[in-house]
Amino acid sequence: MILVVAEQRGGTLNRASWEALACAQQMGGEVSVLVVGAGVDAVARELSAADVRDVVVVNHTALADYTADGYTAAVTDVLSRITPDVVLFPHTYQARDFAPKVAARLNRVAITDVVAVKRDGDRVVFVRPVFQGKLLADVVSEGDAPCIVTVQAGAFQAAAVRRGASAAPIRQLDVQIDEAAIRQKPEPPFQESRQAVDLTQAERIVSVGRGIKEQANIAIAQQLADAMHAELAASRPICDAGWLPMDRQVGSSGQTVAPKLYVALGISGAIQHLVGMKGSQTIVAINNDRDAPIFEVADYGIVEDLFEMVPALTAALKS
Amino acid sequence: MDTLVLWLLVLVFAGAFVAQVAARVRLIAIAPNTFEITHPATRVARVLVEVFGQRTTIRERPIAGVAHAFVFWGFIAFAPYTASEFLAGLGIVDVTDSGWFAAYRILLTPCAMAVLLGILFLLVRRTIIRPAGLGTNVSIESVVIALFITTLMATFLLTWWIDESTTAGRINWWVHVSVILGFLALIPGSKHLHLVFSPITWFLKSPTLGNLPNLDFEKEEVGLETVKDLGSKAVLDAFTCVECGRCQVNCPAWGAGKTLNPKTIILQTEEALLAGTRDRALVDLYSAQALWQCTTCGACENQCPVGVEHLPILIGARRGAVSNGHAPDYLGAMYNNLERRSNIWGLSYGEREKFVETAGLETFDPAKHDVLIWLGCAGAFDADYQKSMRSLFEILRAREVRFGVLSKERCTGDAARRTGNEYVYQELATANIETLTAAGPKTIVTSCPHCVKTIGDDYRTFGYRVEIVHSSVYIAGMLNELQPDETAPASTVTYHDPCYLGRYGGTVDEPRALLARMNAQVNDPVRSRDNPSCCGAGGGLLFADKEEEPGTRISDMRLTELQKTGASTVVTACPFCSIMLKGAQASRQADVHVVDLMTFVNGRVRKL
Ligand SMILES: Cc1cc2nc3c(=O)[nH]c(=O)nc-3n(C[C@H](O)[C@H](O)[C@H](O)COP(=O)(O)OP(=O)(O)OC[C@H]3O[C@@H](n4cnc5c(N)ncnc54)[C@H](O)[C@@H]3O)c2cc1C
Ligand code: SF4
Ligand code: SF4
Repeated sequence: MILVVAEQRGGTLNRASWEALACAQQMGGEVSVLVVGAGVDAVARELSAADVRDVVVVNHTALADYTADGYTAAVTDVLSRITPDVVLFPHTYQARDFAPKVAARLNRVAITDVVAVKRDGDRVVFVRPVFQGKLLADVVSEGDAPCIVTVQAGAFQAAAVRRGASAAPIRQLDVQIDEAAIRQKPEPPFQESRQAVDLTQAERIVSVGRGIKEQANIAIAQQLADAMHAELAASRPICDAGWLPMDRQVGSSGQTVAPKLYVALGISGAIQHLVGMKGSQTIVAINNDRDAPIFEVADYGIVEDLFEMVPALTAALKS
Repeated sequence: MDTLVLWLLVLVFAGAFVAQVAARVRLIAIAPNTFEITHPATRVARVLVEVFGQRTTIRERPIAGVAHAFVFWGFIAFAPYTASEFLAGLGIVDVTDSGWFAAYRILLTPCAMAVLLGILFLLVRRTIIRPAGLGTNVSIESVVIALFITTLMATFLLTWWIDESTTAGRINWWVHVSVILGFLALIPGSKHLHLVFSPITWFLKSPTLGNLPNLDFEKEEVGLETVKDLGSKAVLDAFTCVECGRCQVNCPAWGAGKTLNPKTIILQTEEALLAGTRDRALVDLYSAQALWQCTTCGACENQCPVGVEHLPILIGARRGAVSNGHAPDYLGAMYNNLERRSNIWGLSYGEREKFVETAGLETFDPAKHDVLIWLGCAGAFDADYQKSMRSLFEILRAREVRFGVLSKERCTGDAARRTGNEYVYQELATANIETLTAAGPKTIVTSCPHCVKTIGDDYRTFGYRVEIVHSSVYIAGMLNELQPDETAPASTVTYHDPCYLGRYGGTVDEPRALLARMNAQVNDPVRSRDNPSCCGAGGGLLFADKEEEPGTRISDMRLTELQKTGASTVVTACPFCSIMLKGAQASRQADVHVVDLMTFVNGRVRKL
């Protein structure tokens, strides 16, 4: 059995939980979901739509805010009663914080940052990047079950989660938590970035530069972004001119982004811009100047007039 | 009777003078000693030119400067006269009846008129014209001093009409003498203390701009944290400042409406020293915001007429702040880049290798190559600046200069040093010096003026000596071999002197010679040559998250000045200036083209 530990904050489910769930379903076998918090029944109901054996809910006032000690205590307590083969966490900041603690507490193997799962006979092989993503390693747990695994965001598709014919049963589980043993005292959360738009979370970005010429032409880029389900971003001059809001600026004095796909339209590729997007997985540049520095970092370079290329691309994507 | 009264007065007033000066000298004496007297000949020569020749005073503000010079030279001319009058008055020795003295008095008369003219002009300027650099309030003390000087001259001139032995003559004499005594008592507490200190300050000012002591980590030196850490030169500076505001009006940060005002920094220092708040944190005294707004352009220091050095104070205080973990976030990110990737952008070394390969660069070998090309962070990683590097390579190759690059080159540490992260700087410097020593170049050529400064001046203090020249200097050395392509259209350009090239390096003629050689007509902007206004990138500000806050962008201000020349092309010779000015151009959609010097030259030189 695979247990997926879903992540919620203040009663809102983290999207990455669905991705972990998709991974579990793909691995095959029975899947159970665990959600921990205080007053998280609605989250449990949301999760019960998936094709899983059951959804286990742990409600406790000490779990209202995330603390490493509290959540570790809750999950280890659950694991003393349910005994899955694998426990899957989404590889979020929260899981990064306490999943290793759970593994250490139980003296079990932890495999983090998994991007794919394979089978080798009856052994489960987890694939994880090493050397800053330069290589992929196949990893097999040789320790006792359960093995603690975190699943990298974006590696599995949330949309791929199979829905159940009817809602899965929801099980309440009581846990013992010694509140005095929780050493962390959470402060009210604060928004780290002042940005209204969080481009860092976007999977795809269409970014506009001065090649767009006029504010009215932004619409062309917007259409492409819509067709690609991408966020719109820009170089500094575009935001300085007020053609797009400041919080859409990418670069050294804007946001640093690393989407899977970054499409640069009429951006020359000044270093102040490059340092903000060089981490993107795939970079596509459309620029009519063959010598534009952006082509130094682009995986796909299109030397073309963007006013011809972009509408054509949009049309092709739509059909 | 007169003699006795004068004796009493002299003792009282001279005593007041000595006591006040002594209080300040004591503060200088207890400060950590930072006095240096290397290159004494240079220092003496500079005292002559700057103090007696009034070079900086006149250069920056010719009219007010000449007026000041009249007053100053007049003072010198009058010194023997005053001394003689006092000696006579005190009954020690009387030479005032000699024929010599009579001749001397005749000679002094035009001097007195020049002083009068000068001081009246300065008085009008201070009270009526009131330039911004002098502050918003009229300094009463300065007015009093000006009136004193006027009175001194008037009473001297009156002696031609009033016989000294008459009552009127005696009154005139007493007025003259009392004013001198009053002046004496006023000097130490006022900006006029520069009369006493400025020759010393000039003598002790470092012969190289932006000279900083290396921190010794073995001795647990962490930079300047509180007022008591300020070195003796900084304390002397604070008491020498004449509050003229030359530093202020030349400061790009102040000009762009930032918090920083270099004059305020010096006045705050003086105030804290006199108030005795020795444990006051410098970050609080100067304000953290102001501290991080300095581009280290050096304009303040270079334009100061009395030899004040702002940079050791500002950078010293930054060091103290960094040591306590108080650097702005954007610098933290840059330091990370330097620590992990040894370059300011945080890019992987593979990128540099890619460039080295595609540009066909060989690894430097002293047996094979004439010069070592130092790429710098921009040359190695900035695809835009690499165009300029490729142009340089093309020019060199066409003239059969054999050159190579290091297989591994780290950032020189300029940005770390100027922002006070001495630890990271020294790590980089040590590693680079090791690599360079092993490679053994005789001459290094680079397009980055910051690298010239850091390797040329700063590395020298670690005992590493090499000839490092900016590419403009190296290429200008081959001027005769460069023929312009006569088919290229005529061009009017303006040249932006990078601070680290023009002001720090004194390289102002070579870039212009290259431009002229390429048949370009060069229109100089306001603020050029060795006093350019800054592009805004230095001192770590290239990485600032909000260039426009507070106030406006320094780069924008500079671009506007450059545009006012009417030239359609702006040429510059520093990768950072290039980024800043191109950034300003792009943001304003300005109708002007910014290009680096090497690209410009290569585009117009006749291909061999
Ligand atoms: C302190 C500082 C901080 C900065 N921070 C940032 C930052 O955070 N983010 C940022 O982006 N910039 C930043 N900049 C500005 C940066 O240096 C560049 O000026 C800016 O990125 C250039 O924007 P651009 O590429 O849109 O414009 P340009 O450099 O003008 O490039 C426009 C490009 O469009 C192409 N083009 C024109 N017409 C067409 C067409 N019809 N079809 C296709 N292509 C076309 C041109 O060939 C050209 O390459 C900063 C600058 C400074 C000084
Ligand atoms: S170095 Fe330049 S920016 Fe810094 S205080 Fe002096 S004039 Fe201002
Ligand atoms: S520091 Fe120098 S330039 Fe600045 S106000 Fe004082 S005397 Fe003038």
